[in-house]
Amino acid sequence: MTAARTPNPHRFRRALSRVHVWHWLWIVVAGLVFLVPIYSVIQFSLSGTVKGQPILHWYYTVFDDPNFLSSFWLSLQISLETVAISLVLLVPTVFWIHLRLPRLRPVMEVISVLPFVVPPIALIVGLSVFLRQFPWLIVRPEVLSLIYVVFALPFVYRSLDAGLQAIDLKTLTEAASSLGASTFRTLLTVILPNLRAAIIGGSLLTVAIAMGEFTISSLLGFNTFSVYIYNIGTSTAYEGVALSFISFIITWGAMLSLFLLGRGGRSSAQVAIAK
Amino acid sequence: MATVQLRGLRRQFGDVVALDSLDLDVASGEFVSLLGPSGCGKTTALRIIAGFEWPDAGEVLVDGRDVLGLTANKRNMGMVFQAYSLFPNMTAQHNVEFGLRVRRHSGEARARRARELLELVGLGSAMDRYPRQLSGGQQQRVALARSLAIEPNVLLLDEPLSALDAKVRVQLREEVRRIQLELGITTLYVTHDQEEALSVSDRVAVMSDGRVEQVGTPAEIYSGPKTEFVANFVGTMNRLEGTMISRPDGLVRVAGIDFKVPDATLGHAAGDSVQLYVRPEDVTIELLGNGGPPSPGSFEGRVTHLTFLGPVTRVGLLTDLGPLLADVSSAVALTLSADTVVHVRLDSSALYLISS
Amino acid sequence: MAVADLAAPDQVAEPVERGRPPRQARRRRWAFLGVVPFFAYISIFLLIPTGELIVDAFKTANGRFTFANVEAIVHAPYVPAFEFSLEVSAICALMGGLLGFLVANAVLHDGMPRFLRGTFSSFSGMAANFAGVPLAFAYVATLGAEGIVTRLLAHLGFNLSYNFDGLIGLSLVYLYFQLPLMILLVIPSIDGLRREWREAAANLGAGSFRFWWHVGFPIVAPSVFGMMVLLFGNAFSAYATAETLGVTNLVTVWIAQLVNGNITVDPQVAYALAFGMIVIIVVTVTIYTLIQRRASRWLR
Repeated sequence: MTAARTPNPHRFRRALSRVHVWHWLWIVVAGLVFLVPIYSVIQFSLSGTVKGQPILHWYYTVFDDPNFLSSFWLSLQISLETVAISLVLLVPTVFWIHLRLPRLRPVMEVISVLPFVVPPIALIVGLSVFLRQFPWLIVRPEVLSLIYVVFALPFVYRSLDAGLQAIDLKTLTEAASSLGASTFRTLLTVILPNLRAAIIGGSLLTVAIAMGEFTISSLLGFNTFSVYIYNIGTSTAYEGVALSFISFIITWGAMLSLFLLGRGGRSSAQVAIAK
Repeated sequence: MATVQLRGLRRQFGDVVALDSLDLDVASGEFVSLLGPSGCGKTTALRIIAGFEWPDAGEVLVDGRDVLGLTANKRNMGMVFQAYSLFPNMTAQHNVEFGLRVRRHSGEARARRARELLELVGLGSAMDRYPRQLSGGQQQRVALARSLAIEPNVLLLDEPLSALDAKVRVQLREEVRRIQLELGITTLYVTHDQEEALSVSDRVAVMSDGRVEQVGTPAEIYSGPKTEFVANFVGTMNRLEGTMISRPDGLVRVAGIDFKVPDATLGHAAGDSVQLYVRPEDVTIELLGNGGPPSPGSFEGRVTHLTFLGPVTRVGLLTDLGPLLADVSSAVALTLSADTVVHVRLDSSALYLISS
Repeated sequence: MAVADLAAPDQVAEPVERGRPPRQARRRRWAFLGVVPFFAYISIFLLIPTGELIVDAFKTANGRFTFANVEAIVHAPYVPAFEFSLEVSAICALMGGLLGFLVANAVLHDGMPRFLRGTFSSFSGMAANFAGVPLAFAYVATLGAEGIVTRLLAHLGFNLSYNFDGLIGLSLVYLYFQLPLMILLVIPSIDGLRREWREAAANLGAGSFRFWWHVGFPIVAPSVFGMMVLLFGNAFSAYATAETLGVTNLVTVWIAQLVNGNITVDPQVAYALAFGMIVIIVVTVTIYTLIQRRASRWLR
């Protein structure tokens, strides 16, 4: 029998069905919520003038400010230290729990949620009382790294936990031991390479958190990047906007790397809480 | 009960042609299976009938009326999915009642009908159980009851037994057929399991690459395959390469032996290369009694391997006509072993000629 | 022996006797040593400060026990701050939760283009990180006195005087990181709504509405509400954005003020406020865990 040659009219009707209009509506709304502020930042920078100069001019002067570079560099340093401490602390721990103490996993899950329970502002208040007993520590920026590890904990833990779940840890370690490797050597040469994606993912999230953190660094009096933006911005809102855009580009860059390096398997672990 | 007609259904996904001008007629009350390997388009066809997908071209007629203009929830067809289709937040009873609820039947009427149907599928005692408390087989029974509750014109089943254990599958397919006969409901059944299709259907449509290769009763499909694909897909077939000697007599020569083939098909001329097909159960083994020459019509063969299949043993043979599989009763097979030489005879009435 | 160390605890080379062989029990106890560093760290940097905070909430500046601090926070100006914090958190949790659900559902719907899911996931990951100080300035550029949207509305004759410290005003700003958080959280839940349920419901005659009413919502509602609770806690703890925007009527801002403050320095009350915050959040997280436990039943 000859098949109908005209394009099926029913598909056309279906495409316009009410249900689809409803969905596109919400997508557009979300798009607006996300994009309007970004657009405004760009447009604001391009169109506004302050002190007779286009705001774009201030993008350049911002880079001239030595404080910009020093605060950015400080934040970056702290981020990297945080990453280092987190990994040194968590990789062996999570590995060990998966290998020998699987009963502790629920405990770890609870602990990994705790940093959400304690608001940063509350934590720093409690922490500064505690740290006052170590006056030598509280004035060094390294103390920020130590604190940020706690806030990065949920994301790093989830990342590593998921990564270890995905590989058959028991079989790999048994194979390694049958070939004569010690536990430590196995961790270093067999497990770590297989956790590369999880480690990178967790690290990038940590960097994002640490770079954007404001509450604790401001209260402890350190001039991190966010504090710098705050100081500049509250005195001259226009430069604040410029800095905001630069910070956005940096965050976007970090997230893009995360996206490219770890396709699939991302979930709520992507969200850092920097307030 | 409704008739279903598919006319020229065509569906393409990018470069892949899922359905290539599919035509099929299903009579009222008939049980038709769509049988074929993965990717042959059988599920796509079923989903188009149900309304979850639309064809690029073609028509679906139910009782002569085109249903493609209707959305899925307006077609009044029952559908049983492969798995996981029961609503997890409802008991078996509420699942079955769901369609009636949508149609605004009263609570009492719904409960009555739900009980009736659950008893029909043998789960009258499980009315208050949740899906997670039921086994796979039980879940599918509830799914069947649920689809029948709305008294559909057409029942569609998409590999409903694939996810179940072998024994449960056999049990359940017979029940599905029994219920279908009792209710007289027009049914389309998709499966890749040929045993399933052959055992329960009125007719079977064998599909491959989006086309129907052959439609017929199970016996017709099994005993009279019309294409190479059907011959190979349904049951096991031995294949012999031969030459047509004389068309009116239906004589085909294979390795020096002439076979008379019943109903030699048109389209072959003397001298053509043809394929002869014969089923293992139609290959007979005669044991060498006294080392004499083969009787007329039979030829020599050497046993290469034996596969025990329960009541029957499949014997692999190497002959001048090529490798052959023969099914013999396991008792007889006990006397055979590898390298035994035997005489082989083919039952002429069981030879098929299929155009290549 | 190094080689034997790696065997799983339940694979013992020794003959099995009734009860656990002593060597295995000892090995298990030593294994706990491996996690001591981590737990020590958490104690020092999380548990002890929190405990310290709770204890100090009940101390005077001289270290004597008192209820005075806790007493103080149930009066003005702290009560309005608590109220406002709770209101903002509730509003943007509801807004973010609802909108996030609708958007995620829209993106994941069967007929919609496939690229939407990846795009929204990535963008949500990014937007959720854009909180804090930069976000505040972004909104100043949008809705502030010289903001782009403000100017646009002025062109159309509408005079927008946006209150960043108003209930809706601040909630809308918070929405920027609440919405993506919700989207990321809820996508797995919607994924869990099997396609078969949707199709079976349609096959049985149900349209979209009836499907959601009878099947969809009952199944996802527990997770969705649980996530909203999480959003609530998230907003309640927020500080940087509000501080930058000059909002003063928030508990978090008050705590910072009292510790570092220009106006008054009263760390004791700050501790009490922080304690109050922790109490509120513990309650919300408990609700969240209870709801989650119930939710996982049907999404298996």
